[in-house]
Amino acid sequence: MLSTILNWVVVGLFFISLLAIARAYKGPTVLDRVVAMNIITTNVVITILIFSYLDNSYYYIDVAFVFVLGGFIGTLCILKLLREGHII
Amino acid sequence: MTIVQYIALFFIFGGLFFLFVGVLGLIRLPDLYTRMHALGKCDTLGTGMMLIGIMILIGDITNATKLLMIGTMVATINPVVTHLIAKTAYNRGTPMVEGSFVINDYVASQHRRRRQQLEALAEKEGGKSE
Repeated sequence: MLSTILNWVVVGLFFISLLAIARAYKGPTVLDRVVAMNIITTNVVITILIFSYLDNSYYYIDVAFVFVLGGFIGTLCILKLLREGHII
Repeated sequence: MTIVQYIALFFIFGGLFFLFVGVLGLIRLPDLYTRMHALGKCDTLGTGMMLIGIMILIGDITNATKLLMIGTMVATINPVVTHLIAKTAYNRGTPMVEGSFVINDYVASQHRRRRQQLEALAEKEGGKSE
């Protein structure tokens, strides 16, 4: 019962990511795509956590932690490249 | 299902609702700034409610602490990234939507100020730079 509901929650998160991908395909500027990438990162983190509960393997929580940090650094690098023209 | 799992499912579906409202604002609103206005709040709140729900479901103190750390990271990172995106869009001269009260004239004002500085410099040097 509970695992079925959580699987449908994951399907809903997939649907939300699909809508964000539609905005990233259509978006007029680069920054719309950056915003869409940000919400897709959040959805992937929540999906990893729900699967770590369903699979009873809690090591994936560390993977989600590293994924949050990687998304932050990636967004920061893209924004610095857009503002100043170079990264380092 | 016990009563604790029902409470956890309430939090999880609340988080799913807020994420859906945020992405609805992302695809419906007309402007970059209004899109970030929708996402900067709904994304943080939805992620926080979902993490609370999963924390109740897991129930172990070690893993719940890790989930609390992830929640703190998201609640710190998401406003910072939203602020940086807004600052970058303003500095690049991204136009606002037609008919809004505020117009983005950062690039035009920078050009005007640079031209005035050049004219002042040419006056001070006695017109030799022309």
